[in-house]
Amino acid sequence: MSTQKNETNENHIDMNTNNIIEIQNVTKRFPVGETEFTALSNINLKIEKGEFTGLIGPSGSGKTTLLNLIGALDIPSEGEILISGKNVAVKSDAKSALLRNEHIGFIFQSYNLLPVYSIFENVEFPLLLQKKSKAERKEAVMQALEWVGLSDIANKKPSQISGGQAQRVAIARSIVKKPDIVLADEPTANLDSTNAYKIMDILKKLNEELGITFMFSSHDSKVIEYLRRVITLEDGKVKNDETK
Amino acid sequence: MFEFLFKGLIRDKSRSLLPVIVVSLGVSLSVFFVGYIEGMMGDMVDQNARFGTGHMKVMTREYVKNIAQKPLDLSILDAGDVIDDLKQKYPEVDWVKRFNFGGILDVPDENGQTKTQGIAGGMAFDMTSNNSDLKRLNIADNIVEGRMPKGPFEMLLGQGLAKRMNVKIGDQITYFGSTMDGSMSFQNFTYVGAVQFGLSVMDDKTFLIDIKDAEQILDMEDAVQEIYGYLPNDIYDDQEIEEIKNSYNQSFANDEDEYAPQMLALRDQNGLSTMLDMVNTMSSAFTFFFIIAMSIVLWNTGLLGGLRRYTEFGIRIAIGESKRDIYKSLLLESVIVGAVGSVFGTILGLILTFYLQEVGIDMSDTLGNSNVLFSNVIRAKVVPTQFWIGFFPGVMATFLGALLSGRGIFKRQTSELFNELGV
Repeated sequence: MSTQKNETNENHIDMNTNNIIEIQNVTKRFPVGETEFTALSNINLKIEKGEFTGLIGPSGSGKTTLLNLIGALDIPSEGEILISGKNVAVKSDAKSALLRNEHIGFIFQSYNLLPVYSIFENVEFPLLLQKKSKAERKEAVMQALEWVGLSDIANKKPSQISGGQAQRVAIARSIVKKPDIVLADEPTANLDSTNAYKIMDILKKLNEELGITFMFSSHDSKVIEYLRRVITLEDGKVKNDETK
Repeated sequence: MFEFLFKGLIRDKSRSLLPVIVVSLGVSLSVFFVGYIEGMMGDMVDQNARFGTGHMKVMTREYVKNIAQKPLDLSILDAGDVIDDLKQKYPEVDWVKRFNFGGILDVPDENGQTKTQGIAGGMAFDMTSNNSDLKRLNIADNIVEGRMPKGPFEMLLGQGLAKRMNVKIGDQITYFGSTMDGSMSFQNFTYVGAVQFGLSVMDDKTFLIDIKDAEQILDMEDAVQEIYGYLPNDIYDDQEIEEIKNSYNQSFANDEDEYAPQMLALRDQNGLSTMLDMVNTMSSAFTFFFIIAMSIVLWNTGLLGGLRRYTEFGIRIAIGESKRDIYKSLLLESVIVGAVGSVFGTILGLILTFYLQEVGIDMSDTLGNSNVLFSNVIRAKVVPTQFWIGFFPGVMATFLGALLSGRGIFKRQTSELFNELGV
């Protein structure tokens, strides 16, 4: 693993390293009343660039907690989360936001599109945060919508499209900024089989063609079929780590 | 980015239209309340100034001591000289002569026997020439029956008194009273009209005659009971009046004559000082608490608006917006909503105030037995304060609500906000 230091841009992440995500001795506890609940216990994982990996396990096993930690939405109680060698837990809120904005995309179970904006505007939003020009935004948004096969409904509102289409829009939104990592939390949970397979086909294609690293949290067998690496969590611990 | 957020604000009616309506209503109530209080206060000052106290009033010192009795025998002699002196010292003030006196009115039947009789209060002012006092009292426009006196010894009655005396236009009315020197005074008048003062206490008890007739029946040529002073355009100014009063009284400080003139300000008369201070304090307190109450309502609106959007904030955080930027955008939105709501609310409040200023609410039935000079029609008054006062509850409270609700963005762990997405 090699990391390249950048003295001038603290938020710069060197993606030339093979291990894009390193989870070192991570424990996460949540206060519950006067006691604490241990959601993750001493997790150690390495995810290489371009992996198509899934965290599986029953509810409460710690899948979402781990995705939150990787996405810099939370900080571990103990241990370190390194994204290309940089510990993301010590970053300020603004720097964590920048990290998410530039390098990490999210796909949610319930799509979470902003209902008052059009499909185009929803996909455009991450690029606005990056202060891209209007022309750049338009080109990138249309390209992202083409990847998910929805360029013809750009002007529709989220309320006017189906669940499957909404999740494809969410995928377009997550990849429009060409992130290095996409974290997908139960992306097919609200979809029927046809749409679930369609979504996974798209994600697989994006992984292969754009080299985006995907990390899933799921217990859907349809998702598991596609995974190249399956990490099983149970009671906050890695029970099994299997590469197909 | 601003354009994007503004687009969202406009499209999401629950974020824009609804809060703007709530803010507008709250602000309009605040603005109207201020106008209503100002109207009531102004009306009370205006009515007293017009009919009972002037903005300031000059009498003899002895008269002042017995002012409640309105003693004619303690009136100002050489009234012309006193008025000339006042006009020279304070040329901007309109000085007018007034008489307020009591007597018995007797209406005879066709045989010359008393048909009706009653005690009444007389008021005399210069009503035959087109002078400022005639316009100020606005009697001509309030005649409900008959006409203004044109010749000598013609009388107007308050409409309640006219009804009680059972008189018709052209009837004779005999005045029984006393002169300045205490002699009996009798004089026949012709009833020419009934006036609606809009003040129950005057409608039921007052008759009006011209000042020359009063001078004659009271034997008071070149004497005057009270000299009323009014500031330009009849605009009441407590401070200016106090300055004039002090300077005028100071000029007679070394005069030991008990009949030397003395000036009283409006607030020195009829217990108005206490009443004005009390009403002022109460209205300020009411206005303050009302605005605080409205602020709490509007603050709550801002608070709920912020809380309702935690899901959206979670999405924006996940996409890569910082908490600080989300907080700033929330505050900016609250200022926009507050400002727009305040503008609409101020306009609405001013319209309501203007309507009540022009039309008023007739309270004559409720105030029928009142003895204070209070208008039967309650009116609001449009004042400059109303143009800005609504922005305090409107913008500040909405902003404060957003400020407090938005703090939750920082207080919560990012993952908690994120988890509110329901993922």
